[in-house]
Formats: sequence, structure tokens, C-alpha cells
Amino acid sequence: MRLVQECRLRGNLAGILYGVSLVPPVSPVHLGLTSNYPRPEEIVAASREFDRGRLSEDQMGALYSTWTDRVIEIETRLGFDTVTGGELPRQDLFRAFSESLPGLEVGSLTRWFETNTFFRQPIVNAPPQWAPGAFARRLPLEKLTASRIAPRVILPGPYTFTALCDNRTDLSRQELARRWSELLALEIQDLSAHGVKVFQVQEPSLVVDPPSVEEESWVREAFEPLAPALANVDSVLWTFFGDGAPVLPLLSSLPFETIGIDLADTDPSRLTELATGKGLGLGCLDSRTTLVEDPAELARIAKDLTQRLEPSSVLLGPGAPLELVPWDVAEKKLTVLARARELIEGGAKASEVPSAGATSPARRRSSTPKARPKGKSAPAKGRGAGKGRSR
Amino acid sequence: MSGEKLFQTQEVGSIAKPRWLVQALKGQRPTPDALADLERWRSRVPFVPEHDPRLKKLLKGEVDEVGPHGIRDLGALFGLRYLETSGLDIVYDGEARRMEMYEFPIRQMTGFKLLGHVRSFDNKYYLKGASVGPVGLTAPYHLDEFEFLRQEARRPLKVPVTGAYTLADWSWNEHYLGKQKGWKGRSARRAAQRELLVDIARHAIRPTLKALIDKGAKVIQIDEPAAGTHPDESDLVVEAFNESTEGLDAKFAMHICFSDYRCLFPALLEAKRCSQFLWEFANRDTPEKDGYRDLELFAEFNDRREIGLGVTDIHRDVLESPELVRDRILKAAKVLGDPARVYVNPDCGLRTRSLDVAWEKLTRMVRGADLARTAIAG
Repeated sequence: MRLVQECRLRGNLAGILYGVSLVPPVSPVHLGLTSNYPRPEEIVAASREFDRGRLSEDQMGALYSTWTDRVIEIETRLGFDTVTGGELPRQDLFRAFSESLPGLEVGSLTRWFETNTFFRQPIVNAPPQWAPGAFARRLPLEKLTASRIAPRVILPGPYTFTALCDNRTDLSRQELARRWSELLALEIQDLSAHGVKVFQVQEPSLVVDPPSVEEESWVREAFEPLAPALANVDSVLWTFFGDGAPVLPLLSSLPFETIGIDLADTDPSRLTELATGKGLGLGCLDSRTTLVEDPAELARIAKDLTQRLEPSSVLLGPGAPLELVPWDVAEKKLTVLARARELIEGGAKASEVPSAGATSPARRRSSTPKARPKGKSAPAKGRGAGKGRSR
Repeated sequence: MSGEKLFQTQEVGSIAKPRWLVQALKGQRPTPDALADLERWRSRVPFVPEHDPRLKKLLKGEVDEVGPHGIRDLGALFGLRYLETSGLDIVYDGEARRMEMYEFPIRQMTGFKLLGHVRSFDNKYYLKGASVGPVGLTAPYHLDEFEFLRQEARRPLKVPVTGAYTLADWSWNEHYLGKQKGWKGRSARRAAQRELLVDIARHAIRPTLKALIDKGAKVIQIDEPAAGTHPDESDLVVEAFNESTEGLDAKFAMHICFSDYRCLFPALLEAKRCSQFLWEFANRDTPEKDGYRDLELFAEFNDRREIGLGVTDIHRDVLESPELVRDRILKAAKVLGDPARVYVNPDCGLRTRSLDVAWEKLTRMVRGADLARTAIAG
């Protein structure tokens, strides 16, 4: 994969330099909204009115559209490398699929891990079938692809889906997980054709309720159908709500370029092993507290992990879903990411990594080759010129 | 709760507020539909006499004349009589004066700041606060409502109070977590959370409970719906309960719902002053799955406390038949080995259902308890 190859080249070059001039190896640092975004108070009030029948679907849709633009503006201003729009209308990770895929049904309210939020448990009545375009229609694809930044779409992974669904079929969990991966592969191909460049698969259950050593082989097999679909796109496996350290070797063996770990539940010092060529995603914003993280501390941890694990790239983002904090706090937290990246890059020797203010479009291209929409030039704003990047 | 009558029925928490009350609390003149609803309910639940001046004014739409206190008193009387008339043995007012269980107590405390709404699910949200300083109490709360009910109630009262663990869990922890040094991982969060909940228990809940007891409260239910959220924090749930009730003399119960009860054991056994656990069961009971299986935990851990048995699902309009309620009660009595330990209640507050549905559920529950008593006696 191009991104990985270029990063390896950079890593090797940095390694040589490190040996010669004690310049630490450098991995490109990306920023992304690796979770949903909280609904603003205006949508909170409006959606209540909608439930009471006092607002139409069109009126709600217009509000979602306006606020999705705001999230895209935040992602752009802070210099993020991908854009999601925040998934504001999405009711939970599974709902879009439970409501639209043949074989699935929306089930009862179920606690969303160790939070005071709940999701509707998907009920699997028959082997699920793909419904072309059903998920895509729920995404703000026009807005995302019109952005200067690469669109990122978030999908529920097969391990978590099968851990949390109510499987009423004769399929074993392994068979259902594999079936889910096949459906995701079709979805990824479809969305890729619509211009989506980055696919993030959410797998909290892999760290909250990890497979035993004996189960790891079926887990790997369950992900296999995803590999061909992910070969031509950027892919991220994102875990949260649990300790990623014990399962990092397993996560690294799955067909994703970047492996995301929630540092709110993972002691960074216990991360010791990452497969060669893999990118490391650091869920370094804790969505369970409104305390805003210290960018210097975050940069220190990221630099330490970069030096020890030598990932092909580093992706900084929220760990658990950011909707667990209010809108304003979420924006403050995301701003920390931009500052942390400045500190990480500014902390390396100037000869190796240009400072934020001096970041060149050329360097940006080399760090995210596939994440750039085809035919689009390097952003004029965002990194280097955006508000969040100013010193 | 004398224990003399078997299978005493009780409420757990809130019931839906009638439309006339909601409108009047907003200072609005109740709509004709809402007033017709009031009259319909008054024929079933005569909560105030015909000649009550507040009622007369309300029926004329003179909300300002009744005033906020008068409106709230009418709401509390309706809730109280609704539960009494349905046949319950142990009652309160359906939390008629409370808007919800988190925001109200937090507003009575110092050291918190309400920051914004967070989604609970779908388009449902709750206003969530952050601890931004040491926890304090402006003044003990729920006292006025209790005093009013104590004078009006014709049956024994049980006062529901939101527990310290839930208040801490549903808050963001800035003050105490901010004191933790270094990377704020799980252990740092837990330590900070413990500090927060102990302070809530000591400085807000305990003084409130003491004040309620001083006013005459005999039975207090500590609501801990968050108890099962973090399986590794069951000891903190218990610590919050023990700190809250330390040195106090009343009958204390703990309400927990929609949780994995097994993960709370054996820690829960250390809730020394807890006489009764009120748990949700009906929601998880289906023809395919025994929802009452966790009752066996009490035998497993040799615990002889009372159980408030959830026999009515609060998330569905389907009405449990009296026979089904009877069977659930008798099964619990058998598993627990002593019918005197079984109290009967809905899974949780019935405000999720309309007043009509809740009424049908409660009256069927009362009939089911009668059937169970007959079965035991016969």
C-alpha cells in the first residue's frame, strides 16, 4: 500500500539519520475525528420537538445539514486529515443497518458499555443481506466529498456486532461475523465508488471482551472478507472502552493499516508491540471527562510511543465517542489535537520534520497520499494556515 | 412496612405527570382536553374534594390564582391518591414535584456546574453537570414534599432519594480528577470517582437523609440505577451507600435496575444498613428466559434480606395479568425460602407509561399480590 510504503521509506531514512545524528525516527502525524460528535443544544431541543410531532422531517434534516457543516468547518479549521461531519443524525452505531438490511430488526435498549447511554440491540432474524445504497443515503456524502479533505466513514466491526446483537439464526457467531464482514466489504466498495477515502471500523468489544487465545483464529478468519475491499483505501481499526495492550498483537494481524487504541483505558507504557508497517491510532482525548487534555502531555506520550513502536504513521483522535461530552467541550478537546501535533513535530530536529508553520504541501502529500481526494491539490487552509495551527 | 402482611405492594419511583399539571407548572392555562382528563381521573381518583378552592380555580383556568405552590400541592395530591387508590400498601407521590432524579439534587449542591445535554439514547437527553469544586449542600432537600405527604398520606410512605454513586457516575469529574497527577487512565479516574462519591454521600446525601428522618421518614429508598454500569466499581456502590447512611436510623432500601446483578456480588453484601433490594426483573423475563434467575444469588451468598420484586415491565404497554404476577411472586418466595421477604413493585418508575397504562399495571399487580397471598394461605 502506497501510504505504508512511503512511510516505511521515511522511517528507514529517519532510522539512518537517528543512527548518525541521534535524530529520533519520525512518523507522520495525522489528526481525525475518530468518533461521532455531540449534538449541539439546538439539535437537542429540535429533536425533542421532532419526537413530539412539532417539527417535520425536512426541518430536522435542514438543522442536521447546518450543524454538519459546522462540524466539517471545525475539522477543516483544525487541520484534520479526514472529514466525517460528526454523524449527528446517527442514533447509534448499528441503527442504520438494523433499520435497512434484510434479516435485521431494531431491538431493545441496551447499555452502551460502561456509559449512561444506550443503543438499540440489533436482532438478527436471518442471515443479513446487503441493501445497496441504504447506508450511503444516510450519510452526508455530498458535503463530505465536496470538502477539500478526505471523507472518512465509520462502520461497526464484525466482532463487536456479533458480541452485541441478538443472533436468532442458526449461524454460529463465527459465521455471522464473517457474513458481516462480507456485507461491510460490499459497503466499502460502494462508498469508495462514491468518493469515500478512509474507512474506520469500530471494534470496542475486541478490547472490552477480547477473544481468548483459542478464539483468535476465528476472529482473524472473520475479518478476511474485508481485506480485498480495504486494499485500495485507507483503513483504521478503532478500539475503545477497554485495554488495547493485551490484544495489540491480534489487532495488528487484522487487515487494517492503522490500529486505534483508547489511551483512557490503556496504559501507554504497556504498548510494546506493533506489527511492522502498521500505523498507530491514539485515542488520546478522553470522552468521559470534560477536563481538557494537556497537549504537552499528549505529545510526550505520542512521541514516546512513536520511538518505541515505530509505527508507519500516528493518528490522533478521540478515544471513545465524543458525544459523551457537550459540543463546546468537544471542540476544545479537538483543538488540543492540533496543538499536540505542533508539539510533536516541533519537538523533532528541524532538519527532519518541518515546524507547523513551515509545513509544506509536499510533506503533506507524502504523509497522506491516499487520503487526498483525487485531482485535488493540497489544502490552502487547514494545516499551516488554519486557526488551530497558529502559534 | 410491618412485615405482617405478606407481599406488600409498593411504588418504586415516578409516574407520568398529567397534562393539566405540566401545563399549569409552565404557567399555562390548561387546555380543555387537559381539564377533561383531570375530571376523568378525578372520578377514579378523588384527590381533592369538589369544593377545594384550588381545584375550582384550576378548572376555570385561573392558574395564576392557584399559584406555583398550589399547583405543586395538587400534583402531589394527585400522585399520592393515584398510588393509594390503585391499592398499593406503601406509597409516595409519584415524584410529582421533581423534574427528574439527577438534575434536582445536583442543583441543591455546591461544587457542581451543569454543562449541557448529553444523549441517553435516540432523541432523549439529560442535563449533565461537572464537579468543579468540593461538594457541599445548600440545604437538605425533599423535606417540604415529605412533610406535605406525611400530613396527607393514608398509607405508609417510602421516600426515594437518588444515591451518591449514581449522582457521581452521571456527572463529569473535573475537580477530583483534576487533582490526579499524570495521565488520567482508569485507575486515576476510579480514585477520583471515589473521592467524588464519598463527598456527595457525606456532605449532601447523609445530611439530607438525616433531615428527612428528623421530619419523620421511616423508610428511605436509595436509587442507584447506575450501580451496574461499571462492573469493577461494585465496592464503590456499597461505599456510597454506607457513607450515606452512616449513623442514621431508618429502614433503608436500595433500588437498582437494568443491570447485571451478579457483578455486584459479593460487594453488595457489605451494604450493612440496607434492608431491602428493589430490582427490576420483569423486563428480562420471557417465555424463553427466566428473568428471575438472579434471585438465586441471595441463596448462593446466604443473604436473608428482603427483595422488592419487579413484577411489572415499565418499558412495554403489555399488561401483566394478575396470574402472571402471582406466579412471579410465588416463585420468588420459593427461591428465597421465605414469603415474608418478598415485597412487590414495578421494575422501576412507571413514568415511561401513560397514566392509564400505569394504572392498569398497578391494579393488576395489586390483584396478583392478593392471589399470591390466597395461594400461600390456602
